[in-house]
Amino acid sequence: MQKTDELAEGQATAAVPRGEAADAPGGEPPRYWPLLLVAAAILPGAALVLVGQSVSGPALQAWRTVCLSVTVQALPFLLLGTALSGAINAFVPAEVFHRILPRRPVLAVPVAGAAGVVLPGCECASVPVANSLIGRGVTPAAAFAFLLSAPAINPVVLTATAIAFPGRPTMVLARLLASLATATAMGWLWLWRGRTEWLRPAARHTGHRPGHSRWSEFRTGFQHDFLHAGGFLVVGAMAAATFNVAVPRSVLDAFSGSPWLSVLFLAALAIVLAVCSEADAFVASSLTGFSPLARLTFMVVGPMVDLKLIALQAGTFGRAFAIRFSTATTAVAILCSVVIGGVLL
Amino acid sequence: MKRPLQTVLLALSGLGLLHASLFTDLCLRYVKAGMRPALIASGAVLLALAVAEAWPRRRPGRGTEPAAHEETGDGHHPTDDDHAGHGHDHSAVPRVAWLLLLPALSLLFYAPPALGAYTASRQAPEAVPEREHFDPLPSTSPVPMTLTDFTSRVQQDRKQAIKGRGIQLTGFVTPGGRGDGWYLTRIILTCCAADAQSIKIRIHGTPALPANTWVSVTGTWHPGGTLGTKSAPVALDAHTVKKITRPSNGYTDALPFPAP
Repeated sequence: MQKTDELAEGQATAAVPRGEAADAPGGEPPRYWPLLLVAAAILPGAALVLVGQSVSGPALQAWRTVCLSVTVQALPFLLLGTALSGAINAFVPAEVFHRILPRRPVLAVPVAGAAGVVLPGCECASVPVANSLIGRGVTPAAAFAFLLSAPAINPVVLTATAIAFPGRPTMVLARLLASLATATAMGWLWLWRGRTEWLRPAARHTGHRPGHSRWSEFRTGFQHDFLHAGGFLVVGAMAAATFNVAVPRSVLDAFSGSPWLSVLFLAALAIVLAVCSEADAFVASSLTGFSPLARLTFMVVGPMVDLKLIALQAGTFGRAFAIRFSTATTAVAILCSVVIGGVLL
Repeated sequence: MKRPLQTVLLALSGLGLLHASLFTDLCLRYVKAGMRPALIASGAVLLALAVAEAWPRRRPGRGTEPAAHEETGDGHHPTDDDHAGHGHDHSAVPRVAWLLLLPALSLLFYAPPALGAYTASRQAPEAVPEREHFDPLPSTSPVPMTLTDFTSRVQQDRKQAIKGRGIQLTGFVTPGGRGDGWYLTRIILTCCAADAQSIKIRIHGTPALPANTWVSVTGTWHPGGTLGTKSAPVALDAHTVKKITRPSNGYTDALPFPAP
């Protein structure tokens, strides 16, 4: 079993360099690139089949099931997000954002964070939308506040939280406030410390250009964003499945004793498990051994940072950004949950 | 060169989703039944994208209005390199997109089974919510029950309504490890397999079937401790064990839909 876990892990990590290779600046590809593409597409699958036949252990089966399940579950939301991002790009004039958002970035950040309420769905949808917002001239700090808050504070997720913690409305309130606080703090942090060169330019999102059909602009943008983000979604799903299979849930009980360790541990668990933000409240409510504060941290960190999301961000904004942003977000999210949870819970 | 490959990728992804959700029940191994309409819609959208992508190529002479625009639209890449003339841009879609082939082909040809005994055996059982009020049991015999309901009846119902009653439970077989008996199990998904939780009931009195077999078990509560408190074992003395096919709501802890 240990062996199959390692194999599964090998699969996931083997996939990452290919993803990173795509980050290299374009240039003229070599002439044999179709062969490379086909190899990149076939080799992992072939390896998977071979490993599957030689080992065929239940661990590998569970790994494939979890991986496929995460992908299948996320695809509709990813399509929704990329369709929205394509629509924002093709149909919404840039002036709209300038009119809605306050002109000063410092004020635009909390407004954009609160605007996250309107995007129903989980975190896969928010990355392409945030990217197209940046492409349309929204200040990156405000777009990032939106990116972080949207999956955590939309009505679907808050309702799920209320259902998962019956009779404890403070948990919903704490989640809302801590998520908003984290999103706003991260927006301001970007204004203060962020550098544009960490961001890969949002190449596709040029908005509507005169003389072009809006519908075909919508379609090409939609398709490009989907294919792009979809590949990274698979990378993220593989990584999440690896941890899901390799770390049994029963390990958790070892950490539930110490209050501080348990907060950090559940934050780390939220990152590696990559549970969808619509479901993480139920997972949090099932972690009965842990303090409410630790469970709040799980629900605040989860929608903002997880393996699937880091892969998506690396694909959309570039690796330099994804690493720095995710690290800072984790720290800020833990801080906000501890402060707000400490007051409310 | 590039665009047919994109078309293939989109079409395979769309076909994979449609195959799993519309033509077969495969998707029920991975997500809950409620996701099915969304999956069908996604598959249709992906296929539509593939058709739209392929259309101008197959009819090069006709050049419908949007298609003509699209050719130029695709070419004006904002990094304005030299591709503007011939309508497609090699760097447009990164290679990582090819990873989408894995789930697509996996759904089409090599679909893994639903989560089962392996996952359940590695998890602590799910905590059953506290209940104050229990309705009287219906008078049918045996009484069909969910595993969660049975657990809370055993450990929380002070009126001991299940004492001496015939109970019918459904789930799949998880080997019990040491000691007598095996586990009747359900895996419960909230969203997808990443958040799977399991609920188990110990079954005594019959030999275990192979792991992951779906069964319907009738029997009576396995006595021990004080019924209605935490000391009571969540276990059943089985009288009959009948093999069934996996119900379509297999990832919820609900009464099984009637077999077709």
